[in-house]
Amino acid sequence: MIKMRALKKSFGVGQARVDALSGLSLDARDGRVTGLIGPNGAGKTTAFRIVYGLLTADSGSASVDGIDVGSERMEAQRALGVLPDVRGLYPRLTAREHIRYFGQLHGAGGSALEDDINDLIKRLGMEDFADRRAKGFSRGQELKVALGRALVHRPQNLILDEPTNGLDVMSSRSVRDLIKEMRDNGHCILISSHIMSEVAALCDDLVIIANGRAIATGTPDELRQQTGADDIEEVFVRVVAKERGGAI
Amino acid sequence: MSVPDYNKASKTNGRMARLMAIFKKEVRDHMRDRRTLLLALIYPLLAPLLVAGGLYLAGTTIQSERTAVAFDVAVIGSANSPLLMKHLESYDITVVEMSSVIEAKKLMLDGDMPVGLVVPENANNEKQFTVQMLMNLSRVSNLRLTARLERVINILNAELSKERLAEVGLEEDFAKPIKIKDVSVTRLPNIAIFFYNMMPPLIIFMIFLGGVHLAIDTTVGERERGSLEPLLLSPVERWILLLAKSMAAVLFTAITSFINIAAFFVFCGWAASLSKHLDQPPAWYMFIAMFVVSIPLMAIAVALQMSIAVITRSMKEAQIYLGLLPLVPALPGMIMVFKPLSPGTWDVMVPVFGQMLLLSRLALDEPVTIVQVLTATASTTVAAAAIFWLAARWFKREKMFLLG
Repeated sequence: MIKMRALKKSFGVGQARVDALSGLSLDARDGRVTGLIGPNGAGKTTAFRIVYGLLTADSGSASVDGIDVGSERMEAQRALGVLPDVRGLYPRLTAREHIRYFGQLHGAGGSALEDDINDLIKRLGMEDFADRRAKGFSRGQELKVALGRALVHRPQNLILDEPTNGLDVMSSRSVRDLIKEMRDNGHCILISSHIMSEVAALCDDLVIIANGRAIATGTPDELRQQTGADDIEEVFVRVVAKERGGAI
Repeated sequence: MSVPDYNKASKTNGRMARLMAIFKKEVRDHMRDRRTLLLALIYPLLAPLLVAGGLYLAGTTIQSERTAVAFDVAVIGSANSPLLMKHLESYDITVVEMSSVIEAKKLMLDGDMPVGLVVPENANNEKQFTVQMLMNLSRVSNLRLTARLERVINILNAELSKERLAEVGLEEDFAKPIKIKDVSVTRLPNIAIFFYNMMPPLIIFMIFLGGVHLAIDTTVGERERGSLEPLLLSPVERWILLLAKSMAAVLFTAITSFINIAAFFVFCGWAASLSKHLDQPPAWYMFIAMFVVSIPLMAIAVALQMSIAVITRSMKEAQIYLGLLPLVPALPGMIMVFKPLSPGTWDVMVPVFGQMLLLSRLALDEPVTIVQVLTATASTTVAAAAIFWLAARWFKREKMFLLG
């Protein structure tokens, strides 16, 4: 389970100061897919970065499975798998070497790790390019490697930033199926996406953020009911417009 | 796709395992990088080739100066001193009579004559006369022939002086109250010493260049590619990450440095062997000693590279700063080529400078004491550790992975 409590974070000083988060709180529960959605610059990436220990909150707290990220960063990271928006592969390493490297960084090793890598390659459909260097990979191939890298240490909790960004229809569907399956196995999954149809199809809970704080939370049905909108995109537009004082 | 099953994964904990995983990854990654390999394997050959080339040229110049070379000399008034003309021709110098100084000058300016002589009309009747030597030193080859002509004339001068002194019953050395005998106190008494003195600053230059690409690529380069963020999500202490990357950079620096020092030994040895007038470079074990003495320099070079790379905002900015970095420690060495210093106890305590002093001694086949080596090693290693500590602190900053 991932928890954020009254997270505040700002960048810069004086007139250049920007408040990225202004008291964000949310719960992403086990066995649920929680969608964190908001307009550009709302603070989604900053919130994720605080949860996975790259940024320190100015105030408030974040925890993963009850482990406080601020005081026990590495323990929290062990319980977390992350797919960042920027996939960030090493062009001279093969897909298999990427997954092995991150497995080793999480403390795995030996023949068991190799078995796991083979298993992941098979299950993520990477057999064709597993031993090819990453330079020249398609976005779909990059995403699969990044997913393999995030999953190799069997994390209970997953943060997926734009998990289907740039993928074709078939690859997007495969990723969505994977997310659903992991949810059904009891994993906690927190995703961010700008594709509202994907959010509607995947998310059990939604948190809409703007200006660095949660402005609406609930299940998709609850939010539809609250706003009187028919679909999630309309829900999002109405909630954000209300936050901005009526202007869309 | 379906959910992976990882029930069999084994766990090996410990910093050492993670440290080695990162180190091995960086080594593997950069062994596949042409730029890193070019820097590690080809660059270190360039300076030794340059020095050996200079040494070879010096050797051939000395060789040709000591070998009698036949050449022409433009003479105005050759009939005024048949003795001098006969003397010149006995040394394979062909006298070419000119009608005027203008004609001689023209030929010399056109490059058809290397040097000229104007013999005065009264030369035959006087006990002493002055010849004018027409020189064109804008051509390097003329320098040697002009000097040779002067030496040959002085040989005749010496013979005539001897005869005249004998005529009045004086000893040959009567007019030379003080004689000079050259005794060199160094093992390498000739021009080769100048070239061997150039090795230490060039070795240090290469040490500060060897790991530079890896230092940039594994820090600010990772940030630009977006691979730093996933890496920092791993449960690894930041200083372990930086240490492993630094170890990889030290390894490449060591390979570069080894090739560089070995190339100095091979190329300079080859160049010196082509001339009997040049002393050979020090023995191979002195070059091994140079490599060993340089190891703390590799550590401080990488620590400096890492500390600069982690605070720069882009790879381009890092390349500018780190491109200039090798000049700083190499500069004192370049000065020492012309003004050598001897290492004292306190001098070797100055980080980097201590190694420079020791390398300068070793390059001239002169001994260093174990105390000097240990003192220099300790001071540079402590400085490297302090700089690495700073770099590790900077590597922990949030700014490190926020682009720009």
